Amino acid sequence: MPKDFARCLLVHVAAVSKPASDDTSAAFHICEELRVPLGKMLGVEGFRSLLARAQVLASVDVPWLKALVIEQDGSFAGMKERRLRLDARATVDGELALVGHLLGLLVVFIGPALTLRLLHEVWPDWTV
Amino acid sequence: MKTKKAPVRRKTPAKLAAPEKVKIRQLPTGVRGLDEIMHGGLPEFSFNIIAGAPGCGKTTLAHQIIFANATPQKPAIYFTVLGEPAIKMLRYQQQYSFFDPAKLGKAVRFINLSHVVLEKDLGGVLEEITREVQASNPSIVVVDSFRTVVRKALGGESELALQAFIQRLALLLTSWEATTFLIGEYTEGEARDNPIFTVADGLFWLTQNAERNSVVRKLQLIKMRGQDAVPGLHTIRITGDGLQAFSRTLGMVGRKARPARTRRLSTGVPELDKMLGGGILEGDSVLVSGPSGTGKSALATHFLAEGLRKGEAGIAAIFEERPAGYAARARAFGLDLDKPQKNGMLELLYLRPLDLSVDETMQEILDAVKRIKAKRLVIDSLVGFEMALAPGFREDFRESLYRMIAALTGAGVTIFTTVEIEDSFTQMQFSHYTISFLTDDIIRLRYVEIDGQLRKIMVVIKMRGGNHSKDIREYVITDEGVVLIHPRQTEYTRLTTGLPERIGQLPPELAPEPKAKT
Repeated sequence: MPKDFARCLLVHVAAVSKPASDDTSAAFHICEELRVPLGKMLGVEGFRSLLARAQVLASVDVPWLKALVIEQDGSFAGMKERRLRLDARATVDGELALVGHLLGLLVVFIGPALTLRLLHEVWPDWTV
Repeated sequence: MKTKKAPVRRKTPAKLAAPEKVKIRQLPTGVRGLDEIMHGGLPEFSFNIIAGAPGCGKTTLAHQIIFANATPQKPAIYFTVLGEPAIKMLRYQQQYSFFDPAKLGKAVRFINLSHVVLEKDLGGVLEEITREVQASNPSIVVVDSFRTVVRKALGGESELALQAFIQRLALLLTSWEATTFLIGEYTEGEARDNPIFTVADGLFWLTQNAERNSVVRKLQLIKMRGQDAVPGLHTIRITGDGLQAFSRTLGMVGRKARPARTRRLSTGVPELDKMLGGGILEGDSVLVSGPSGTGKSALATHFLAEGLRKGEAGIAAIFEERPAGYAARARAFGLDLDKPQKNGMLELLYLRPLDLSVDETMQEILDAVKRIKAKRLVIDSLVGFEMALAPGFREDFRESLYRMIAALTGAGVTIFTTVEIEDSFTQMQFSHYTISFLTDDIIRLRYVEIDGQLRKIMVVIKMRGGNHSKDIREYVITDEGVVLIHPRQTEYTRLTTGLPERIGQLPPELAPEPKAKT
């Protein structure tokens, strides 16, 4: 289910966020958008921990994600450089794995209802 | 000659003569029983502390309060500080029925202050709280745990700085019309000379004591400015619905005077009714005492079944037997307790968790009485009831029992209580509990040895508000239940000792006691 959520959310975010020429990917955008409300609720360290765990889990299937660095404030570094060196397929796989695992962790901890609620707060127009 | 003028009386504007006092609005706590303890609810804009050791229910109490009051227009802010991570708090708290996911985000906002506490001084913490409060305009603010903030302060700042911080925080939150709760893990000794407790308007103290195999949780409202609250320790229980509080004075507040008692209720045993002068006076508390096997529960079942036959709903709080067994035994006497249960005329409350408080039991019974409008209540038995209580509550059993009986009879319910006692062959006890003063009527059952048989006798010891027979009557338990078989015995004396002496002539042939059908 989290992977379906993730796919659906990536499509939505890609559509509503800046054009593809922008150096930020949809996954980066999602992580950035979630960083603020989740950081506020869970603390920056709390969000960072979740993201780091999601990164480790996603790296098993998509190794290039290992190279990403999570900054102290919970933001990603190195996404732009990595994307430039990857083909579109690898990028999509990585994004899907990362967001899927992040949402998966949220579902594990706070359940699907609260996770969906949280996502709707950030993307009110998004429908599953 | 000057005439003396009458003094001119100034008219005082009515408004000035009787200025209106400020009305303190009360907020619901969302905790069943707590509003009653607080005589209405939480004083709005008060600055409160919820203190206690870990596991007492402090966080759950705060959550119940915010979910009961927060709206998107007047939200609640829940600041978490280096305590339970918010993600786990959400994970656990959503298990409670009061947790409304729809309120999360807009009405209930969780904000983590850990990094601020770690990185900044008290001024920085206050600045962050101020920023969030000004941005959200909350009606309720919770800081969990405030103890962490204080620890941080004591690590690097003076006590005066801490006091100033608390003072400024209280001022800020009050000015922003927020009702505030600071949660902290404090021990009782820390309450003295602590600036936080000085500034606080309300102090909720939660305790948890493990006694033998049971856990007893208590709540005390140590301080409550601006309004009255029921003093003393109140039992609390945490269930799937969150905290529930049981006031120390449960049932006593708002108790109605017992109505004039004129109606007599049949016990379902015609000969016993005659001994009672026509039956039990409605609203009486009857105690039936006797050793095991003398038919106390059978009499109680007669009492219930007779009420049901007359359309009076009944409740049996049973502690020693399961409802199915209780109904099956009644069936053996030709009394049907199954159909009335299905019809909603009878509830068999099986209460035996071994860590109950009398207040919880009373609440269960009061709820059931209200639910089915019961007129008759059986408590079977007091010994089982006492065993079902946590050891700590057994000390207050008599006092609690007094409150319970007073509350229920005040509600017009007639109570039929059984108590098991051992037969002494030198004296005749009524009960081990010295609770005879709580009861209006006492019926004593006992064994006597007569002509080589262990027979059963019954006597009405006391009947408040009515005359009663002084006869000692023999009875048997047959397939019709309890049946009184002989008029009073005049052939024997010292029946109450259990070892009577024959003073009459020996009849030519003694008929043995009829046996119950199996």
